[in-house]
Amino acid sequence: MTLNRYIFRRLIEIGISFFIILTALFLLFHLAPGDPVARMVDPGMTAEDELRLIAQLGLDQPLWHRYLKFVSNFFSGNFGISFHYGQPVSQIIANRLPNTILLFTTAVILSALAGVWLGKIVAWLKGRPMDTAVTIGALVCHTLFLPWIALLIIWLLGYQWGWFPITGMISPEVWIAPGTSMLAKAIDVLHHMVLPMLTLFLIHFGSYLLIMRSSMLDTLAEDYIYTARAKGLPERMIRDRHAAPNAALPVVTSVGLSLAFSINGGALTEKVFSWPGIGRELVFAVSNNDYPLALGCFLLIAAVVLLANLVVDVLYAFLDPRIRY
Amino acid sequence: MVSSFRHLTTPLRWTAVIGLLFFALTASSCNSPDHMQGIVRIGLPEEPRTMNIFLASDATTRNVLRQIYQPLYEDHPQTLEIVPWLAAGLPVYDAGKKTYTITLRPARWSDGRELTSADVSFTAWLIQEFELPGLSSRWKQVERIETPDATTVVFYLKRPIATFLSRTLEAPIVPKHQWATIAEAALKTEKPLATLLNHEVENPVGSGPFVLKKWSHGDYLYFDQNPYYFASGQTIGDRKIGPYINGMLFKIYGTTDVAMLALRRGGIDMFWQGIQPGYIDILEKTPGIEVFLSPKSALYYMGMNTRRPPFDDTQLRRAVALLIDKDFIVDRLLQGRGTKMFSIIPPGNEQWYNPDLPRYADGETRASRIKAAYELLLAAGYSWEIPPVDAKGNIVPGEGLRLPDGNPMAPFTILTPPADYDPARAISGTMIQEWLRAVGMPASARPMEFSSLINQIKNRHKFDAFILGYGRLSLDPAYLGSFFSSSNDKPRGWNMSGYRNEAFDQLAKSADTEIDSAARRQIIFEMQKMIIDDVPYIPLYVPSLIEAVRTDRFQGWVPMLDGIGNRWSFNEIKPNSASPGVQIVKFRL
Repeated sequence: MTLNRYIFRRLIEIGISFFIILTALFLLFHLAPGDPVARMVDPGMTAEDELRLIAQLGLDQPLWHRYLKFVSNFFSGNFGISFHYGQPVSQIIANRLPNTILLFTTAVILSALAGVWLGKIVAWLKGRPMDTAVTIGALVCHTLFLPWIALLIIWLLGYQWGWFPITGMISPEVWIAPGTSMLAKAIDVLHHMVLPMLTLFLIHFGSYLLIMRSSMLDTLAEDYIYTARAKGLPERMIRDRHAAPNAALPVVTSVGLSLAFSINGGALTEKVFSWPGIGRELVFAVSNNDYPLALGCFLLIAAVVLLANLVVDVLYAFLDPRIRY
Repeated sequence: MVSSFRHLTTPLRWTAVIGLLFFALTASSCNSPDHMQGIVRIGLPEEPRTMNIFLASDATTRNVLRQIYQPLYEDHPQTLEIVPWLAAGLPVYDAGKKTYTITLRPARWSDGRELTSADVSFTAWLIQEFELPGLSSRWKQVERIETPDATTVVFYLKRPIATFLSRTLEAPIVPKHQWATIAEAALKTEKPLATLLNHEVENPVGSGPFVLKKWSHGDYLYFDQNPYYFASGQTIGDRKIGPYINGMLFKIYGTTDVAMLALRRGGIDMFWQGIQPGYIDILEKTPGIEVFLSPKSALYYMGMNTRRPPFDDTQLRRAVALLIDKDFIVDRLLQGRGTKMFSIIPPGNEQWYNPDLPRYADGETRASRIKAAYELLLAAGYSWEIPPVDAKGNIVPGEGLRLPDGNPMAPFTILTPPADYDPARAISGTMIQEWLRAVGMPASARPMEFSSLINQIKNRHKFDAFILGYGRLSLDPAYLGSFFSSSNDKPRGWNMSGYRNEAFDQLAKSADTEIDSAARRQIIFEMQKMIIDDVPYIPLYVPSLIEAVRTDRFQGWVPMLDGIGNRWSFNEIKPNSASPGVQIVKFRL
């Protein structure tokens, strides 16, 4: 099978999977026991007011009718109107998505680079004190409870030492100042990124390091490594040119999927750091029964994860010449 | 230095670069630039959902929009009496014609156009035409409106209504010149109400002290002073109106923990949400911060389903009321930051609160409560396999409670919101479960996701008992009628306990139409007594509203029922002359 035919077949599979996910999510939300207008009502509203509100939101229609309308709207690019914000879901997602991508892709890439680099070194130094210390450190990072470490970082670096802003993506005080330059604004964003990025770095870094170390140890036991040594190649060249590229393949899968899942923005991270991304909106939408917004966010995540799987599979063919489709 | 950098391996160089960048970006607090002088920075627990006043149903959005849209009348912060706001004086009532005549103050919208009687008339039309949820029921009795001149509005009512001033005329007035085209377009659509509610108002035109200057979605809202503010420099309700601040900057905080750190560090001047009692000590120790404890117009209560056994029996409901230890709830669960409730109307609402109501063994010991409940139930025909009070009068664990018909009492559930939604209500449920079990009642507390809980109680009526609360009740007690009138005992109606009492229904109707305040007060008192006697709801507590502000930055906050985050505060606070300035964490690149 050629690569093109493989991609075509996978795209069809992805389309079918996406449709199943779309249907399942729709049913999950619409059959859940909660009342979507529960948080919109107050004692000033009558029962008739509530029924009118339900009718206006289209929730008085039979389930199949709502489903058909949702599907037809979805595939014509209309993801619905958020119950809470009264704005198109696509507009809300478009507003929040770049913030999530900026923070999470940066954090994932940096932690992957650091994990791969340190993982290959400690695997090379297996059994030595440095290997033990780094591996234990990575395990600790891997098992950190995110809200705890996030609050600790905020308290120490933001509150006690005052080095970084406590939360948010920008300092409004800086942005509303007359004559603030674009450079100053860009640096302000960078400044706000440090603490959430450090948190995410610590959380992700450990797992990449452990994957890389384990994979590297397997690779170092391969025959071609002995051959390279027998040829008298320098140790560093064997490690960096012969072993590391092959050992990094599992990390590629992990990074690919992490990048895809990063679209959901790590709801906890975004909530604790008040980062205006998709994750924060997703939590809010689910807890407030804002079906259109929650569905929009989940379907975006589903689409990206499905496509990321395809990209990783195709990438394998380029990274490992032995793999053919 | 440079040569040693060259000797590093590539990854180490990158590490060094990232490390240098990290330290270059570390910052120190510094005082604010001039543009922040006089701007109050307020932390919000979530982003306001909209600038469309008719879609605003949550507290945060309403709080923010209250700075832009103004009503005709407002409650005085101390007396809680109605004072003219956009109106120039109290309305003149003509009993014969059933009309209220109102004269407007000279006022302008934030775009400079004149605010006239046509705007008031248009707002009423909009509410009635679109049957706006939450507002239209208040305007139902307005038959028509006449505007003989630009400052006079005459409301013709179908019948007298007691809440016309306190509920109807406290609705926000919107500008006709902005909303007329929106309304016309909405009326042409398939779903006019949804179209109107979902209309995105990017540039809200209001008559309040502030005007939206910039909304960076997800980050902040910046309100500037409204140069056309009608009340500026005037005295209303014996208070000198400002505003004396230059603007408002709203910042969003995902968690209260982080918002408290920001407040302590000087990142915000106020967090606009009630905070948990656990923060009080540390906030009080922070220089420059003042903590305000205000009474709330709120009700936290246990409701029982009077439609079916076992709570269709008034004696059993009274026994439950006897067994609940409100002192424990207030002292232990609320850490003393609250008040016991004995009526449906909170005690802070002095005009309407009836202080002479049965208190169901208030202040007595656990043993006395159990004995009182035991005697009450025994007299009502209940029996036990093991009574909770033995022959010698000692308290023992009661078992096998039987109903007056001889059948064992079936296990029942007390539904509560989950602990992450409200720990006090969730733990109250568990405590009440234990107190009821002590006399042999097979009670189980069960936390349930909030919207499912409402669905179960309000819409489906499938429950035994529940614990809920209203965090912000109106000052006018019209809600008494809503909560307990037989006509509201229907799916989605507010009579969730299914209480039916013809005498109460008659009183509720009288309270609705009685214009004379003193006479209405007597009716409301009687209604409270009826409810507490029949106990479809057991009022539990009202938590104090705990708010903290940086008084080293702004002074003159106005405490009132429901806290300092009120219209008066933002019209009266002034920058502290000894202010340390705004603390901004700035990079030093």
